[in-house]
Amino acid sequence: MDTVARLDALKLRLRRLGDRAALAFALFLVISPAVFVMFWMLSLAFKNEIDNIAYPPVWIPNPPTLANYKQVFERSPFGLYTINSVIVSGSATLIGLVLGVPAAYGIAKGKAMGMGMLIMVARITPGLSYLIPLFTLFRFLRLTGTLVPVAITHLVITIPMIVWVMISFFEDIHPELEEAALVDGCSIWRAFVSVSLPLARPGIAVAAILAFIQSWNNFIFGAVLAGRETRTLPVAVFNSMTYEQLSWGPLAAAALIVTLPTLLLTIFVQRHIVTGLAAGAVKG
Amino acid sequence: MATRSVSRRDFLRIAATAGAGLAALPLLANCTPTPAEAPKAAPPTAAPAQAPAPSKPAAFDWQRFKGEKIEVTFTMGNMVDVLMKYHKEFEDLTGITVGAEQVPEQQARQKQVMEFNAGATSFDVCHYSYHVHKRLFAKNKWTVDLREYLNDPTMTPPDFDWDDFSGGAKAYATDSEGRICSIPIKIDFWMLYWNKELFEAKGVAYPKTFDEMLEAAKKLHDPAKNVVGFLARGLKNANVPVWTHLMQGWGVDPIDAKGNFYTESPEAIEAAKLYQSLLKNYSSPGVSGFNWNECQSAFALGQAAMWQDGIGFATPLEDKTKSKIFGKVGYGVFPKGPKAQHSAMFGDGIGVSSYSKKKGPAYYYCLWATNKVNQLRVLQAGAAVPPRSSALSNPDRAQGSTMPGEYFECLEGSGKILRAGLPEIIPVTEFRDIFGIALTNIIGGADPAAELKKATADFKPIYEKSEKG
Amino acid sequence: MRPLLSKARAPGRAAVLRHGGYSRRQVYLLFLLPALLVIFAVIIFPWLFTIWMSLNDWQIGMQQSFIGFANFQKLATDTRFLETIPRTLFFTVLGVVAPLIFGVFAAEVFHQHFPLRGLLRGIYIMPMMTTPVAIALIFIMMYHPQLGVLNYLLSLIGIPPQLWIYDKNTVIPALVLVETWQWTPLVMLIVLGGLAALPTEPYESALIDGASRWDMFRFITLPLVTPFLMVAVIIRTIDALKSFDIIFVMTQGGPGTASETINIYLYLQAFAFFNIGHASAVVIVFFVIILTLAIILLAARERLRWTQ
Repeated sequence: MDTVARLDALKLRLRRLGDRAALAFALFLVISPAVFVMFWMLSLAFKNEIDNIAYPPVWIPNPPTLANYKQVFERSPFGLYTINSVIVSGSATLIGLVLGVPAAYGIAKGKAMGMGMLIMVARITPGLSYLIPLFTLFRFLRLTGTLVPVAITHLVITIPMIVWVMISFFEDIHPELEEAALVDGCSIWRAFVSVSLPLARPGIAVAAILAFIQSWNNFIFGAVLAGRETRTLPVAVFNSMTYEQLSWGPLAAAALIVTLPTLLLTIFVQRHIVTGLAAGAVKG
Repeated sequence: MATRSVSRRDFLRIAATAGAGLAALPLLANCTPTPAEAPKAAPPTAAPAQAPAPSKPAAFDWQRFKGEKIEVTFTMGNMVDVLMKYHKEFEDLTGITVGAEQVPEQQARQKQVMEFNAGATSFDVCHYSYHVHKRLFAKNKWTVDLREYLNDPTMTPPDFDWDDFSGGAKAYATDSEGRICSIPIKIDFWMLYWNKELFEAKGVAYPKTFDEMLEAAKKLHDPAKNVVGFLARGLKNANVPVWTHLMQGWGVDPIDAKGNFYTESPEAIEAAKLYQSLLKNYSSPGVSGFNWNECQSAFALGQAAMWQDGIGFATPLEDKTKSKIFGKVGYGVFPKGPKAQHSAMFGDGIGVSSYSKKKGPAYYYCLWATNKVNQLRVLQAGAAVPPRSSALSNPDRAQGSTMPGEYFECLEGSGKILRAGLPEIIPVTEFRDIFGIALTNIIGGADPAAELKKATADFKPIYEKSEKG
Repeated sequence: MRPLLSKARAPGRAAVLRHGGYSRRQVYLLFLLPALLVIFAVIIFPWLFTIWMSLNDWQIGMQQSFIGFANFQKLATDTRFLETIPRTLFFTVLGVVAPLIFGVFAAEVFHQHFPLRGLLRGIYIMPMMTTPVAIALIFIMMYHPQLGVLNYLLSLIGIPPQLWIYDKNTVIPALVLVETWQWTPLVMLIVLGGLAALPTEPYESALIDGASRWDMFRFITLPLVTPFLMVAVIIRTIDALKSFDIIFVMTQGGPGTASETINIYLYLQAFAFFNIGHASAVVIVFFVIILTLAIILLAARERLRWTQ
């Protein structure tokens, strides 16, 4: 009896150990592509030219160099482009929140999925089709040369994103809570502001982050609508390409400059994103 | 750094011996009175320093548009690097502030057309390729006719010397109605870069004919050592000049001035077959994705024996920090074909946007960018062929240059056998795209005759439509 | 926001609101109005422009003329355009299926408990936050046939060097690999949300029955997370159909036309050839294709709900 139990315990322990090893291995498999590409980007960005095109590859920059960054900032005003990107994505996200959060609330509470689909049309439409007419329109309105056209077009990215994420958050809020407020004599608007909005705060955080990142990463709107002083970062990064094929260091440095903020943001708020997306958006 | 300071001194000397371009060098112009500066000195302060255009000064004055600000859009390239390095000179000379940027070729072309079409441009000065946009820009009068300025002694300094530009360049800049829509800023000649070390190692001589070129590619092709025999653009669109250049060896252009097509002629097919054997058998396996920059890097790494392209891509090859074959690059006049020997020619110009509100200052910038000193600088940097004869034939051109003597010999040799590399048609982008795809397919092993036939059938209606208006 | 606020607050109105359900709905729609108006304002002009231009023959810099549906007729026989459709669908199917498989696997992994899970999960979802243009550039360097690190890694395990995006047979899988790298985390997150919502009882009884891990996944997990998978499929399908940045930066549709998807073809027509009329017709056809697929998938999802 005793030995059998002990054997079982051993078996169980062995199985657990095996499970652990299998999990560790699976984890390694799953995470290595992300880690490897990021590592390689870092490596390229901090190595000198000769090491970058060495074969077999040089893994660790030795010594690490900042020359690539120096070159990037010398060749074009990346500082300005960073500020542009912050302004464009920041304002598009803020305006997107102001418009999109109530809209999502309206759709969720009013069961107006049809109207929601209308907003989604903006997301389904091929982005390229906006560009020539909008360029002409903004030229006509004398807005080209400013950040306004770029920011406005980015609303097409941020609003649907925010609405999409927020709808399910509002659907999840218990109707009774609101009803109580309404019975107490609140207007719908007050009920929205004082009851639903605070409850949906995690959702708003997720929506804002995802919208900001989507807007930050957008390339083609800026490529067509922005000019020399209004360019956004992804366009600037693309422009630093096509020049000399094997200037890998500066290219990787430029790529890192544009991705770094999004990566830091991700690490910082990953819990929100995971719980937020897991809890809400997926039911959309 | 040492070479740069030497070369700067040389510029001054060269400029002095050429008796020109001094106006562009304010430092010197200020302390030494020269003929070029004389007219400016004559009327004490006739030109209003602040208020531009309306009041007409009696003589040319670089400071006429002082305080203005202009925007310049460039198509990215080594030549632009050279010019932008000296923008301070222009700003000191004229008091005009320049906001300039280089945009990658494809985007620059797209952006310029969109802006012109919208009826207002964010730039005052625009750098464009004749072989792509000459007809379209001229047809819509998107750039200013510069004849009036050129003939006006108060707008053009005497030492600018329009006739210093080569005949071919001037023809490039002039449209079918005789308007001068831009000033030529660079010409590119196609030739053959060759790696002397690889040639010597196998005891191969520089090829004189297409047959010898193919033979050399075969002998030098050594995949085991990571060396290919021959490199040229395989990427669709970019690859079309390679084929048209080869076609010139049979004495044929794809579309002649009268609009006759030779794109499926026996000569065109022969050229495509040669293209196929070179790139399919003796080139990098991924060559059908290569543009000039991939070719340039592979060649600079010593991974190719020959590379056919424009001479304007030489700069980094002679840069020790970038080139593994520094000092081993041969610059060869392109070999002779079965019927003829030609160097394919392409050109760029710099013009003033018709929608610009600062046409005067913009024109001044064009004058400065194409003046003798800058043209010589561009030549010496190996960044392009200047359209000015004075720069090309300058006896001191090799001094202070990073380029070896052979480079200039190749330039001279090619200069004698020039032929326009692409037809002057409006839908040149479609032309390059459609035939580019055919050529990429040909590298992949498709039948040249069939591919060219199909491409011609696809393109002809587009061409005919474009000629109708 | 202000006008909305004052309207909702208007005393007489608020009184009605609290009673009639019908007008309450109307107020909810008022919440929606500003966003709808802004979106409408931004996209209405482009849409009208596109529809009108699709009926015209116009190339920038050339004469414009009304030609009715001729642009569409031409598209129907334009082999180059027609070829982009199956190519785009191929790209899309790969670009949906691959992230789906890896994403489900990753979700299973992250559903377990282990130390540093939060941090590792954070690292894992980084790719979906990265800028496609930047990532495309890094992958160009990794794909370099002679100097690329991927070919080096392959050589370590005895696989000959690949041409990746430089060969017409491997270009689409190579591009999909980048898409997969970037978008698997999104699928993972969605499925993870689904796993978190699963009941535990079926697993417990399965454990008692001595079911294997695979059996549990196959017969319990998979059916239960299928609705979540459908969400992932819909999002991925729309995004993969419209994929642009990565293809544009890495191949521009090449070699030849081997990776020319509808969106890239559209770019060429609109921004390289400036064939606005033709391009506008492409936009409309493209939109119809995306919409149709989205509707089919949504309908499939609804049916799935019913059958469960």
